[in-house]
Amino acid sequence: MTTLALVRSSPAVTDGSAQTADLELKTDVCIIGSGAGGAVTAAKLAAAGLEVLIVEEGGYYTSQDFTMREKDVAAKLYQEGMTRTTADAGIAILQGRAVGGTTVVNWTTSFRTPEDVVAHWKEKHNVGGFAHADLTPHYDAIERRLAIAKVEYATLNQNNKTLYDGCKKLDWAVDTLRRNVFACMQTGMCGLGCPVNAKRSMLVTLIPDAIDAGAKLMFRARADRFETEAGEIKRLKGTLLDADGKKPTGKSFTVTAKRFIVSGGAINSPALLLRSGLNDNGRVGLRTFLHPVVGSAGSYDFAIDPFRGAPQSAASHHFAHRKDDVGFFLEAAPWYPSVAAGAVPGFGKTHEDMMNGAGKQALHIAILIDGFHDDIPGGRVTLRPSGAPLLDYPILPKLWDTFRFAQKRLAEMQFASGAKTVSTLHDPTVMMTKLDEVAIDAAPWQVGRVPVFTAHQMGGCAMGDDAKTSVVRSEDLRHHTIKNLWVMDGSVFPTSLGVNPQESIYGLVGLMSSRFVAQK
Amino acid sequence: MNRRTLLKRGLLGGVVLLLGGGTLALLPAKINGAPTEPLLALDAKAFNVLVAVAARIVTAKGSDPIAIAQGVDKVLSSAVLETRADINKLLGLFENALPGFLLDARLTPFTRLDPDGQERVLEAWRNSRLTVRRTGYQALRKLCLATWYANEASWGPIGYSPPSGLNAIAYPDSKMGTPEWIAEQKPSPG
Repeated sequence: MTTLALVRSSPAVTDGSAQTADLELKTDVCIIGSGAGGAVTAAKLAAAGLEVLIVEEGGYYTSQDFTMREKDVAAKLYQEGMTRTTADAGIAILQGRAVGGTTVVNWTTSFRTPEDVVAHWKEKHNVGGFAHADLTPHYDAIERRLAIAKVEYATLNQNNKTLYDGCKKLDWAVDTLRRNVFACMQTGMCGLGCPVNAKRSMLVTLIPDAIDAGAKLMFRARADRFETEAGEIKRLKGTLLDADGKKPTGKSFTVTAKRFIVSGGAINSPALLLRSGLNDNGRVGLRTFLHPVVGSAGSYDFAIDPFRGAPQSAASHHFAHRKDDVGFFLEAAPWYPSVAAGAVPGFGKTHEDMMNGAGKQALHIAILIDGFHDDIPGGRVTLRPSGAPLLDYPILPKLWDTFRFAQKRLAEMQFASGAKTVSTLHDPTVMMTKLDEVAIDAAPWQVGRVPVFTAHQMGGCAMGDDAKTSVVRSEDLRHHTIKNLWVMDGSVFPTSLGVNPQESIYGLVGLMSSRFVAQK
Repeated sequence: MNRRTLLKRGLLGGVVLLLGGGTLALLPAKINGAPTEPLLALDAKAFNVLVAVAARIVTAKGSDPIAIAQGVDKVLSSAVLETRADINKLLGLFENALPGFLLDARLTPFTRLDPDGQERVLEAWRNSRLTVRRTGYQALRKLCLATWYANEASWGPIGYSPPSGLNAIAYPDSKMGTPEWIAEQKPSPG
């Protein structure tokens, strides 16, 4: 048995911030990133006896560092200290940055990729390298390892119960969902790092598994660019960061490897390829999808306490398939005061009054399923002058139309579950005592007038069998032209998923890392 | 507003952030308070404007605009270089007389306006036809409010009381929950 504290202090783990000289490292396989994609790959490859080095930009924190206070953890666990947005600042981007990646801060919701999504990829995006059934054993395996199980209605907090009950009253499809937790203590702190290791994130499962099996890990090491010779990648060059991950220490690292696997996630993986000049067909960074989210606050005459209990444990996919219109699904939003304060509209007394009513407010969200329509091409990752990624994701009229429709359905559901008033998050808010579709239509649906956020980033290095329109092959996620480069993470999805993405990444990368091992 | 004015304002959007770095100041800024710790991301002028902005955005009892501005500076120290530069320019725009005059017919720097005047500026930015002004207002609003509500002193009125110290009872083992772990937890016979 491996205790978690021993994993971090193992000789296999190198703290990039503590190095006093430049590092020159050699390995068979170098994996960049330690989140859902990188951790699964590392565990599988190391178990097969391959020599593996994981390179991670974020810090190596454990439950002992998770103080349950936003002011302590936002800078430690999120990309750009939670200030990452799209280019026009229209969408706030919540994305993890640590050993374990976004799985350290996600809300534990676990769905397999829907069969119709995989079928759509095959039909529209030349993804012929696997069938949905090929993924099944890999879902089964990860579900056992991460204790993924459906939660009971009785465990739902009021924020989730109101969602569930409202949907039931309207006869909309709704169900409790599956979470990757074991003996959850219901702290509600999933988004700030589980303080008790009940969440089976990569940090406490497959990263220790990989290290147990012989993998090495270096953290506070930012991958800057690949160097190629004769069409192959020879080495990875990078920068070592200080203990806070904010500044370079002045030391660098070089990894020479036979094979490189990019698992930095959407946005960061395409950015690494762009910084390396690896974009011959111009497809890198394109088709980045976000599952853009709008929220609705329902006020009840009983306690909701949205900050207590498992933050996300029910979902409705009733509106997931809307033919020519963009579909969406409904879930409950976690409630942490600092993040919530940014979403609650206004300033001064107006804002304060709404915050003070939080104990009786439910916060529900509509999550748009982008990428399934020809006129919803998603966003594009480019590079800022500093080399950091920049995602341009215009909110097109069709998405605004969907937000309007979804906002009405959120209000309808909240009233059905007993809300006395429902407020949109527009600035200024639209407050209703009954569903008022005219008022919702008339609200300012513009960038900067209504908060939109994303907790699900997908795409940017799309898989497919046509080398002209995709970045990696769908049979093994190997780059179309560079024979020793793979991308194994959520950036390979050619569309969004219509479900929270973590298990889709585990399943696909589980399959593809098995194929990688079989080819070794 | 006629179409020509609209057009001019639309064109202005492209250069509006650049104006934040301009130097036309008919009146000097009012000094609102100096940082209590070395600044990590903001320059001193921007910090001074942010203190004035924070005083309007966060009016809750016990809030301190200097402490909020200091907290925002700390948050921005994790942002990419371009975001930090944009926020410094944005705060220059709030203060600067030239864009104030062009966009709002205002010659007085933001820091010299009375509280009502400052609120009117914030509302003008919120309701602006220029995306960059709306998102600029939202960025400053969110940074100030997120910083205040990350502070435990703000939690009483909202009824937020997260647990403390649970880390001490964290499950210790990475294999927790797996069949092998469960098997090991069973008491051995005899």
